[in-house]
Amino acid sequence: MKVSTNWLKDFVELAPPVTRTAERLTLAGLEVKKCETLTHPSDTLFEIEITSNRPDWLSHWGVAREIAAVENLSLKNPVIDSEVGRTPPPGWKIQIKDAAGCPYYTGVLIEGITETKTPDFIVNRLLACGIRSINLIVDITNYVLLEVGQPLHAFDADLIRGKEIVVRKSKQGEKFILINGAEIELKPEDLLIADSDRAVALAGVMGGKDSEISDKTRNVFLESAFFNPGRVRKTSRTHQLSSDSSYRFERRVDPEGVDLGRSRALALIQKYAKPRHISAVIKAGEKPQLAVKTIQLRGDEVKSVLGVEIKPSQIALILGRLGLHVKQHSEGVWTVGIPSFRPDLTRPVDLVEEIARIYGYENIPETLPVREPLTVVESPRLILERKIRQFLSGAGLSETVTFSLISEDGLDASKDLKEAVQIVNPLQHGLHWMRPTMVTSLLTVIQKNVNAGADSIPVFEIANIYSMTDAHKHPMEERICAIALYGKKAVQSWLDAARSVTLYDLKGYGEAILKNAGCADLCVAKTQKSYFAEGTAEELRTWQTPLAFMGQVSQELLEKWGLKEPVYYAEISLEKLVAPAQKIRTFKDWPKYPAIERDLSIVVKDSVKSGDLMGEIRGLGQGLIREVELFDLFRGKRVPEGCKNLAFRVVYQSLERTLVSDEVQKVHEKIAQTLVQKYQALFQTS
Amino acid sequence: MKDQISRVEKEAREDLSRVDSMEKAELFRVAYLGKKGKLTELFKLLGGVAPDEKKAVGAELNRVKQWLESSVEEFRQKAPKGGVPAEIFDETLPGIRPPQGSVHLLQQTIQEISGVFSRMGFETVEGPEIETEFHNFTALNIPLDHPSRDAFDTFYTTHGQLLRSQTSTVQIRVMKERKPPLKIIAPGRVYRPDTVDASHSFMFHQIEGLMVDDRVTFSDLKGVLHLFLRELFGSQTKIRFRPHFFPFTEPSVEIDIQWGKGWLEILGAGSVDPNVFDEVGYDKNTVKGFAFGLGVERIAMLRHGINDIRHFYENDLRFLRQFS
Repeated sequence: MKVSTNWLKDFVELAPPVTRTAERLTLAGLEVKKCETLTHPSDTLFEIEITSNRPDWLSHWGVAREIAAVENLSLKNPVIDSEVGRTPPPGWKIQIKDAAGCPYYTGVLIEGITETKTPDFIVNRLLACGIRSINLIVDITNYVLLEVGQPLHAFDADLIRGKEIVVRKSKQGEKFILINGAEIELKPEDLLIADSDRAVALAGVMGGKDSEISDKTRNVFLESAFFNPGRVRKTSRTHQLSSDSSYRFERRVDPEGVDLGRSRALALIQKYAKPRHISAVIKAGEKPQLAVKTIQLRGDEVKSVLGVEIKPSQIALILGRLGLHVKQHSEGVWTVGIPSFRPDLTRPVDLVEEIARIYGYENIPETLPVREPLTVVESPRLILERKIRQFLSGAGLSETVTFSLISEDGLDASKDLKEAVQIVNPLQHGLHWMRPTMVTSLLTVIQKNVNAGADSIPVFEIANIYSMTDAHKHPMEERICAIALYGKKAVQSWLDAARSVTLYDLKGYGEAILKNAGCADLCVAKTQKSYFAEGTAEELRTWQTPLAFMGQVSQELLEKWGLKEPVYYAEISLEKLVAPAQKIRTFKDWPKYPAIERDLSIVVKDSVKSGDLMGEIRGLGQGLIREVELFDLFRGKRVPEGCKNLAFRVVYQSLERTLVSDEVQKVHEKIAQTLVQKYQALFQTS
Repeated sequence: MKDQISRVEKEAREDLSRVDSMEKAELFRVAYLGKKGKLTELFKLLGGVAPDEKKAVGAELNRVKQWLESSVEEFRQKAPKGGVPAEIFDETLPGIRPPQGSVHLLQQTIQEISGVFSRMGFETVEGPEIETEFHNFTALNIPLDHPSRDAFDTFYTTHGQLLRSQTSTVQIRVMKERKPPLKIIAPGRVYRPDTVDASHSFMFHQIEGLMVDDRVTFSDLKGVLHLFLRELFGSQTKIRFRPHFFPFTEPSVEIDIQWGKGWLEILGAGSVDPNVFDEVGYDKNTVKGFAFGLGVERIAMLRHGINDIRHFYENDLRFLRQFS
């Protein structure tokens, strides 16, 4: 809100410079974001930010009241005119049919307006606050709104049918034309001001076209009322209509301001519009009372919340400056009466905050909590995440942060999105899915970097994926580590040539993460995902728990993202990896007896899996094999078509004794024979 | 031919007597056995030798070659260790760098902030991003139809859940699960339907903090948060505490740090509102607490001079690798 300091000076004496006042207000919680200097007429505007708990600050008088409290100054009241007619307007009546929506409604009839020119000071002050002048009567209602915070509405009295004001809920299918000309269909909960046969205003939000004040208006019906904040808010939100009035009503206006605002407006109308006659005020309903009218405050509550001792005399003084009615109840205990404009004060702690604000937050000392230390247990999953970040970034991968909200681009609606969580009010670009996988997010990262000229893009992200397997249960979130590799494995140097990444590089990262976590007994199985090329995906498991999967992204997606080289993508479930991960590892001694190495170079059909052969070799080792390692794989040359040469290094070692060469030779030969029989292996002679 | 060989051999013996350093030994080797070495040149002439003499000349050449090689080797063995550079060492050649990866700057910032609080005894905890009305609003004293809710526009799921608009949800979850005393911080992603521009994003990161026991005060909040900001921004940093309004704290405060000529809001905090204690089933008369929340992006942008929040989510390697 914009506040004119000239206007404030009507109510409180501001000692120059006003920027100092601005700073004092800011440090008391009424934040002045900006000070703007105006010329012609010269003025300083405060751009202030008002928190939703302080509607009493939404006016110049309200801000002046705060300045008076903060600076300990006296506050002048707005000039009002109590001289109104003695007789109510003949024939006019007000009827409240929805007392919950409108507990208190007042009106007055102003007849025979003779002047229509708005005085310059009103035009200028409104303009400074961002409101343009419309006509004298409307300008005065706006002026009063900005001055004392009470929204008023003026109707052309001759356009009100039946001299009747009815405050009621809207009827089924009722329509209404707003001041701005737009027609809206009313909702049953909308609160209306109506005459004898139609709606004339959307209560507290906006007036109607049919009864608005024009240049021809000579007789005015002026409304000043209290509307229920929740109801005004609902109507304002339902119809997406917001006005200076609705903004104040939905935050709750001061019930005492209803009469004050009307009286202030009448004073201005009397003076500048020079009407022939102003009637007596007609009223319906009662002013709503505060739910909590007094609060009992103990001095020790102030100390236990703030941690500082403030003198009882000072506490009473501060509360008094804020316009609260302080009575000493007993030693160090006060009964504090709450004025109608402070519904936010309902509990002792609310008063403590008021005391702290005016006492000054800067005057409260800084201390450190005194208490015995607590045991802090670090979450095993967070430890695991930190280790993985360290490992992957050390291995040359860059961590990304991409949005959890995605579009369905690249995903299969029947597979990937079947159990995905959907957003009803997405913001943009159809980002209405909570992602069930990070593959499309990382493809976009790769695409952007390729376009920026990168040729080696190894990235990873640790974040949640989301799913909803049961519509009656809360959605699931799973922390995963996703890895995507693209392009060159390493940058070419003067010493080494570059090569492209392969699925096996990705698998190496995956295996290393699982093994580093302390996960033994890994096994692999083929799997399939909609976004992988057929037959390139595999899963790493420990026992029956799948921990990770990986594969080569399908050609279709590569084309969709405009990528020329393959992308390899993996997801590792960190939730699942925490369980088999070992927190504290036990030392294992290595064998003291020498090892014997034997190589086994065989030619088998392409369909034979190297993992099966390694398992077979290990199984036939009679417990003497410590390690089987595949150290070479090639095709072509002397290897027949459709076959491959695999070279294994078998390490024989016993924990108990030194192995004899003959013994090892026998086992090794037995293995070789079995491979020949079972897998039609051929031995390559060199 | 044989004469030539014995001449070279004689010369070599003389040269060898003058070899007294590894460098000279290497020069000696090159002079006789290098590509254009004296003995190497003689080997090249072998093709022109008469066939009947070839075998004898070849044997003689090999004998001298072996003698030269063993002499150099012998010198090497005797010489102090350190080796002879096989080729001329160029100290200006660039090193072969290991691959350079990076942890995301937001994550680094979270780790750094968590580290500061962890030293003060705060435990890092997490909560779900898809939340309920209760944890995100009701329990935090934010009524459904109230203007205080305007500050928290929210994404909703088709099944009536919402994406948390602040990490304060985690304090509710932890308080409902555990008894005081508590000292926790909760980093994580939060969501608000804001249009993306240089300073807004519909997804960003917050860190929520909470301390609850039977005696903690507003002055403790000031002490802890000032200590934190000094650790993060340096001990010279000026800060100010400014009253503010949050539905879930009372009194509430915003903390600004001096930045250039002005002040920048960096933290929101306050003493836990008694209504929040009521919601989680704590006795508001005996329990005291303070809570705070900060935006990770904002802090990272300030500290690293980043002027566009979108850099964090675009993941350009030129950005990511600057902070490796």
